[in-house]
Amino acid sequence: MSDYGPFEMIAYTGARVLEDESIVFVGTGLPIIGAMFAQLTHAPHLNMIFEAGSLAAILEQGMPLSVGDTRAFRKAVFAKGLCAAFELTQRGYSDYAFIGGAQIDMYGNINSHFQGGTYSRAKTRFPGSGGAGAMAANCEKTISIMALEKRRFVEKLDFVTSIGFGDGSPDYRKKAGVMGSGPYRVITNQALFGFDEDTHRMMLLEVLPGKTAGDIQELVSFELLISPDLKEMKEPSADDLRILREECDPDGYFLKRKTE
Amino acid sequence: MKDDARSGIRGITSLNQEEIERKANTPFEFWGPTPNEARAKAVAKKKGLHDKRTTLKEAVARYIRDGINLGIGGFVNTRVPVAIIHEIIRHGAVDLTLSFQSNSICCELLAGAMILDPDHISIRRIELAWYGYEVIGIAPLLRHLTSNGMVELDDYTNYGMSARFKAGAMGIPFIPTRDHGGTDMELVNRGTMVECPFTNENIYLLPACHPDVGILHVSAADMYGNCRIFGALCTCPEIAQAAVNTIVTADQIISNDTIRKYPNLTEIPYPAVDAVVEQHFGSTPGASYGYYWFDMPHFLEFRSICDEFRKTGNKDKLKQYYDTYIFGCETFDDFLRQMPEEKLRELRQMDGQQPIIIE
Repeated sequence: MSDYGPFEMIAYTGARVLEDESIVFVGTGLPIIGAMFAQLTHAPHLNMIFEAGSLAAILEQGMPLSVGDTRAFRKAVFAKGLCAAFELTQRGYSDYAFIGGAQIDMYGNINSHFQGGTYSRAKTRFPGSGGAGAMAANCEKTISIMALEKRRFVEKLDFVTSIGFGDGSPDYRKKAGVMGSGPYRVITNQALFGFDEDTHRMMLLEVLPGKTAGDIQELVSFELLISPDLKEMKEPSADDLRILREECDPDGYFLKRKTE
Repeated sequence: MKDDARSGIRGITSLNQEEIERKANTPFEFWGPTPNEARAKAVAKKKGLHDKRTTLKEAVARYIRDGINLGIGGFVNTRVPVAIIHEIIRHGAVDLTLSFQSNSICCELLAGAMILDPDHISIRRIELAWYGYEVIGIAPLLRHLTSNGMVELDDYTNYGMSARFKAGAMGIPFIPTRDHGGTDMELVNRGTMVECPFTNENIYLLPACHPDVGILHVSAADMYGNCRIFGALCTCPEIAQAAVNTIVTADQIISNDTIRKYPNLTEIPYPAVDAVVEQHFGSTPGASYGYYWFDMPHFLEFRSICDEFRKTGNKDKLKQYYDTYIFGCETFDDFLRQMPEEKLRELRQMDGQQPIIIE
């Protein structure tokens, strides 16, 4: 097995989760790389939408460094603005959201607003929702990319920015007035999570080869459900890594970053 | 109003109860002109095709005043109105309300000016979705101001802010959206959950946003203010049409003949624009599709100066940046002249000749 970095594993896993014939609403960095990899392998009919308003661009000028980057509009089939991107999404044309955040809870709710203190006097105020709140609400399935750490996988968030399953009650999202079906996968470099259909609680689906469910539970503050069919995460082959490194992120902007 | 919220959000997080009550007990107000005020000011405008070309100095002196709601165009690092922000900082304005979806250097430049001299520039509050530089990092000065409670925030999503400008542009007082509900934004922002009279399902309403002044950088405009935008429209057409007055810088002034040849390419019609300034590189260090790409070294330099202030409290380098690049310049062209000639050429090359139609 080839040596790969944590970000390569995240991008590779992200790609694996995406199905062909879909539109994926991407953020900067790993989501773009995951979607590009999927396009080059199992999902040739997958397309990306960027929140600044481009659809199905051809990313031939290199990795966009911002979701509004002019490079994210290169040879797009449709180029408008934020309203167009989010309204296509509200209408049902974005199958997957890729989002991140500072904290996630067992129902897949995510905080990107603040940590510590109160809303108006936050100890650390983060940048805010950006597109994430709208993507989590209205893309059909939400995929989150998170660092697997106890301080991030928390019992109770300081604030919900991006809706997951709320308190887990069956009609939470309906009462919230949102359209998407909600959290689908949570990707980390050591584990892949899904959500239990009945309780809406986070469930461990796959672990990095060599890790156990117990190892993962130790990095999570709330009690995880463990899939009865727990699998090992698929590792990228030498050829997969070549595609990731040479075709998806040749400048190494995102794959070669050091872990925070 | 907030007591009517019918999603199940209460109690899911550790959001402070007093905070929720305080917000719930604050009567709703627009943070700028009301829809009726905005309408009356549009009706009162002269509607002919007149030459609106001017200088940034004149445009800013005419429209920017204390206490206004300033709507900032572009998106994060793209087509951001940096030249207009420089002139506003030279001019001075206190007690500002800022409105935008996501922005980096424009709000950071204003925040830095406030940190250096709050009697000259100050931000009272911001209605927004996000601040930061994306891959380059967080926005240190906004983090400083917001983490110290020095600026009031009202939080929406990127769609939320865009839809609020869109409502303003449509001349309607609110717009229903399918987001915000079921998150804590429902408890702290100025939107409200209602039951849809037609589907009987919950739907979240957002108030229209009418900036007093919209500031935009566009690809090209004719002398009357008809604007073309290539690449991301961001939320510029909506902001221009929602704002009471709009100042536009354009990378290029184009002929009215080409505007009339391809009227479908006009993204902002002239009545929604009050001042037009030709300003090449008017977004730099941001990018403008078809003209120039990001000036990454400049972003990094400014951001690291700001981050140093955030970490040490030392304002010396920050002051030096403003003295060199803003207060030491009469115009934005003076700022551009401080860059090596080949740098602007490089930024043009890095755009990769994105195709645009200007003739």
